[in-house]
Amino acid sequence: MSREQILANLRTSLNANRPWLQAEAERMPHEAPPFVLPAQDDVVGQFVAELAKLEGKAYRVASADEALAIIDRLIEETHATSVIGWDLDQIGLPGLPELLAARGITPAKADVRGEGRKARLQELEPIPICLSGAELAIAESGTLLLRHGPGKPRLASLLAPCHIAVIFRRQLVRGLGEALALLAQRYGDEIFGPTSNLTFITGPSRTADIEMTLSLGIHGPPQIHVIVVEG
Amino acid sequence: MPQTIAFFDRVDHALHDSSLQTALHRATTRFIGNRAGAIGALSDADRLRDQARAIRAHALAHLDELLPQLAANVETRGGHVCWASDGEEARRYIIELARARGVRSIVKSKSMASEEIHLNEALEEAGFEVVETDLGEYIIQLAGETPSHIIAPAIHKTREQVSELFQQHLGMPPTTEVPPMIRTARQALRQRFLQADMGISGVNFGVADSGAIVIVENEGNARLSTTVPRIHVAIMGIERIVARLADLGVMLQVLARSATGQKLSVYTSLISGPARPGEEDGPEEFHLILLDNGRSRILGGHYAESLLCIRCGACLNACPVYQAIGGHAYGGVYSGPIGAVLTPLLQPDLPDAYLLPQASSLCGACQEVCPVRIAIPDLLLRHRADAVKAGKFHPVEKAAIASYTLTMTHPAIYNAGGKAGRFFSRILARRGRFRRLPPPLHLWTKQRDFPALPPKSFREMWAERKKQRQSSS
Repeated sequence: MSREQILANLRTSLNANRPWLQAEAERMPHEAPPFVLPAQDDVVGQFVAELAKLEGKAYRVASADEALAIIDRLIEETHATSVIGWDLDQIGLPGLPELLAARGITPAKADVRGEGRKARLQELEPIPICLSGAELAIAESGTLLLRHGPGKPRLASLLAPCHIAVIFRRQLVRGLGEALALLAQRYGDEIFGPTSNLTFITGPSRTADIEMTLSLGIHGPPQIHVIVVEG
Repeated sequence: MPQTIAFFDRVDHALHDSSLQTALHRATTRFIGNRAGAIGALSDADRLRDQARAIRAHALAHLDELLPQLAANVETRGGHVCWASDGEEARRYIIELARARGVRSIVKSKSMASEEIHLNEALEEAGFEVVETDLGEYIIQLAGETPSHIIAPAIHKTREQVSELFQQHLGMPPTTEVPPMIRTARQALRQRFLQADMGISGVNFGVADSGAIVIVENEGNARLSTTVPRIHVAIMGIERIVARLADLGVMLQVLARSATGQKLSVYTSLISGPARPGEEDGPEEFHLILLDNGRSRILGGHYAESLLCIRCGACLNACPVYQAIGGHAYGGVYSGPIGAVLTPLLQPDLPDAYLLPQASSLCGACQEVCPVRIAIPDLLLRHRADAVKAGKFHPVEKAAIASYTLTMTHPAIYNAGGKAGRFFSRILARRGRFRRLPPPLHLWTKQRDFPALPPKSFREMWAERKKQRQSSS
């Protein structure tokens, strides 16, 4: 069995080198710092500025109504008749179901599993908007953390060219270390119980593979709009 | 020795390829600047790097426990684990799986481990359609080439060359503008994703305590490859592990900054097993290949430190040799300083692998930028010593080194040699340089000038100065 052989090799190897590796491991505590850049007072402002640097768009709004107005405008601009989205109650923006209904939009479920997977994917492909919430957002890098799972499909931040995400002020943390600590506190060992996937999203999809020229939207959404509701 | 010529030929070729030289200069300069900016902005970069090293060292010190823990957790979440001693076992597992599931087309996101085991060739030979989906990887796949940089596999290609490839293979109208090329690639690859039966990815980190793998990328092709097809296969070198999810709070911070100068990569996916009941999307099957391919033995030798590597590519960009010759000249899958360390270990069959550690001035720039502070120059020196012990070098080279040793340890010979050198410099050098030296030294001047010796040696100047001081006091 390869498993036994590999483990036997590892044990033999570690007989020789474990002491110095262990010594290297103990030179420093492993606890990640909660954040790594100088702290700023205005965390929302920091998030908005960071995302703007990445050519993402962030909006700080005081109320749900303002958030709805932005979503309404983006629907109009993209001529969307459908969106690939999270379950609306998972996004938690009051008035969102009514807005979509008024626009004649029924959110498409990203239900691609089982038979007909490829056919369902082809149906979803032309939809212009992805609509999601987030678990947390990280100010110092302009990052969204999406904990996927039932009602929160991965395709709802991936497939369409325009991704709209709605977050609330209370979901904002300073740094990655803080975000991971919060996750551990909330879910303990069950972070991956009901979900197979966590994704950190930091700005629009990009590549510099042709002559180091920055280009957006090679595979994921070229546009990302994050609405931060402060009220 | 024909194999030695092969390496020097590749170097020669690279040095005379002017578009490669332009591309290398542009890419490495940009990467170095971006990295320096991102690392410099950190409140305490040194501490973070020390932490990253400690976390990786801990993982290696406990690899015999962490790997089974990772495997068990993946299986608990409904995933399958394949322990592969070598490339052959990994390839066989994937091919048998694909056949058993009736797979026709496969999409791949970037994986150095899969390059290491030449997976694409094996899959194509077995009759599967394999498409690389990272834009750079896609470009070189269309061109029939191999990656020239860990992070930017196609940096050696000009936009004109890419345009030609896309016109030829994708029917794109002629253009030298980048945006239409991006749109063309997006459309072509999007259909490949939607029609694929299997997605194959690499792994940046395996997280033992969570049974999760981490994939870091900017394009979204890894997300699509691991979400859209009904089967996801991830290939991970067994050393690429961290003990705890919390460790990512350090590792991701240094990885993205070292690689591209980003605070975080655009997409960082943590994947633990296949889609759960009730999840709308995600793969039905998840397979994790734990690839040994020599690593379990390397861990016991004096190159173990190289297993700390997190494949950020910072040492490539910083290296004056890489800057001059690019990735292909190295001949192996891994290039640059860390490639010169890893290739002789992971691809020992490459005939001129032993020469790669010679392709370094030992300036130490690689160690300076390494996020886990691998002492790359020390490892290169060990390789050199091992190659000498193994009798890889010509007796003439040994004799040359012996006479160098003699010269450097005997002041009288050193002085006499210096005088002779200054004499020849006076009569043969032009503008302070030798353009050509006589054999066997012509091997040096084939690629570069040799600086002429100054008219007076330091020791002579020192002696004169001392004399003047004495006479003036």
